[in-house]
Amino acid sequence: MDIGEILKNLGQSSGYYLFGEPEGWKSIIMIIVAFFFLFLGIKKKFEPLLLVGIAFGMLLTNLPGASDQLFHSDWWTNPAGVNYGEVLQHGGLLDILYIGVKTGVYPCLIFIGVGAMTDFGPMLSRPSSLVLGAAAQMGIYLVFILAACTGAFTGGEAASISIIAGADGPTAIFLTKQLAPQILAPIAVAAYSYMALIPLLQPPFMRLLTTKKERMAVMQTSRTVSKKEKIIFPILVTVIVCLLLPSVAPLLGCLMFGNLLKECGVTERLSDTAQNALMNIVTLFLGISVGATAVAATFLTTKTLIIVVLGLAGFVLATISGLLIGKFLYVVSKGKINPLIGSAGVSAVPMAARVSNQMGLKYNQNNYLLMHAMGPNVAGVIGSAVAAGFLLAVFS
Amino acid sequence: MDLILASVLNKDENVAPLDALYLALIGIAVVFVVLIVLMLVIWLMGKIFDSSAKLREKHPELNQKLQNAKAKIMFWKKEQAQAEPAQEVANGTCGELKLINVEERDAAMIMAIVADNLGTPLNELRFISIKKVEDEK
Repeated sequence: MDIGEILKNLGQSSGYYLFGEPEGWKSIIMIIVAFFFLFLGIKKKFEPLLLVGIAFGMLLTNLPGASDQLFHSDWWTNPAGVNYGEVLQHGGLLDILYIGVKTGVYPCLIFIGVGAMTDFGPMLSRPSSLVLGAAAQMGIYLVFILAACTGAFTGGEAASISIIAGADGPTAIFLTKQLAPQILAPIAVAAYSYMALIPLLQPPFMRLLTTKKERMAVMQTSRTVSKKEKIIFPILVTVIVCLLLPSVAPLLGCLMFGNLLKECGVTERLSDTAQNALMNIVTLFLGISVGATAVAATFLTTKTLIIVVLGLAGFVLATISGLLIGKFLYVVSKGKINPLIGSAGVSAVPMAARVSNQMGLKYNQNNYLLMHAMGPNVAGVIGSAVAAGFLLAVFS
Repeated sequence: MDLILASVLNKDENVAPLDALYLALIGIAVVFVVLIVLMLVIWLMGKIFDSSAKLREKHPELNQKLQNAKAKIMFWKKEQAQAEPAQEVANGTCGELKLINVEERDAAMIMAIVADNLGTPLNELRFISIKKVEDEK
């Protein structure tokens, strides 16, 4: 027995040794990025439920040697298709969990939970909120044009990048896994990071595009919505929208199903499970498996950098579009609609609505916009799902 | 609409900027159309619910009639339930039970234990008397 040889082999199989291999430096950069996301999630509390999972998945999958035990990125980007038999027989934990992302199961399950947590009441009481929800989706299509103009992306990739502007993580994942799975990691990371940064990104544009008088506009309470309306709404939306755009059915159907569980009043246990246990489990699996896809070799590219920049542009354009239509409604309604609620049309629920509320309170301490902003906010969820359905229908 | 568009573009090919512009215009139009349709549906639904509520407020007699109709339905349901043949009672449940130095609560417990031990429903058993046996000192 050659003890020296054993120790040498042991040393060469360690992650520390593998850092020294060509492109080992990329892993170090990704580990630093993972640490930064952990800092943002834990210390700054930016979407911690997702960001901590994403960051830890990123960390695990970029530790040389250890990553082979957990995740095989090459299996998932194989142009010939995924061999699920091999994944189930020889895959690591993160490979198995990633099946839920690849098949689009997690985003749909998350939408059931989101639906069960969403109150569509503010939107039902003020139907004009839907226009603001639609307006904010203009950011998606403007980024699509920008991405196409760069010439660096295929149609599927441009569509996937553009959906970052929808500020809706599950929708971004659902669309990207179908149109451009090779760029899922940067898109998921960009989408969730920007959603977390909404309190920093939106206010400067809100101040820039609205006057003090507009920001101080007080909105009156709208009509009370009956229980029956809340029950009928998810059923009607499912039928109307899914017949119009069948490709939107998995997302919108799940969103409305979750909402029906909440509103119908006879499935309290299911609603409770969807809001808590199911949502937590899926968020856990989704976060860590999406983070695992950010492998240095495929993540650290110029494309990723362009995606990050375009994603940021998308968020800004979506906010601007919402605010401009908000200003238009302010004029049309003769000051009855505060344009600040326009920026809540991006679907990051309830973060964007909270930002509108805080901005309103800053200029008028008695101006509570939260419930008014929730209307465009939940309309934005429907709007981004419709936009994704359209892009899926075009590129399928 | 999506069936028409489905075969237009390949996801693995680049999109020309002009095509992207057309596509974006169609896309935003689709989003606006869908959400405006929903807006109209919600508005219509709200009008229907509001008008029925107002109608009830304006004409309390209609509301009264509705309440009467509901009450009638409830009464009819009760009658139906009463008209249903009563469950047959096993022989032996009738008659009187004599309790000697035993409280009703204890007697009920004893009868339940006996029925359980025998594996016979309580209403099929007949108890004549239950007497407390004093302990010998």
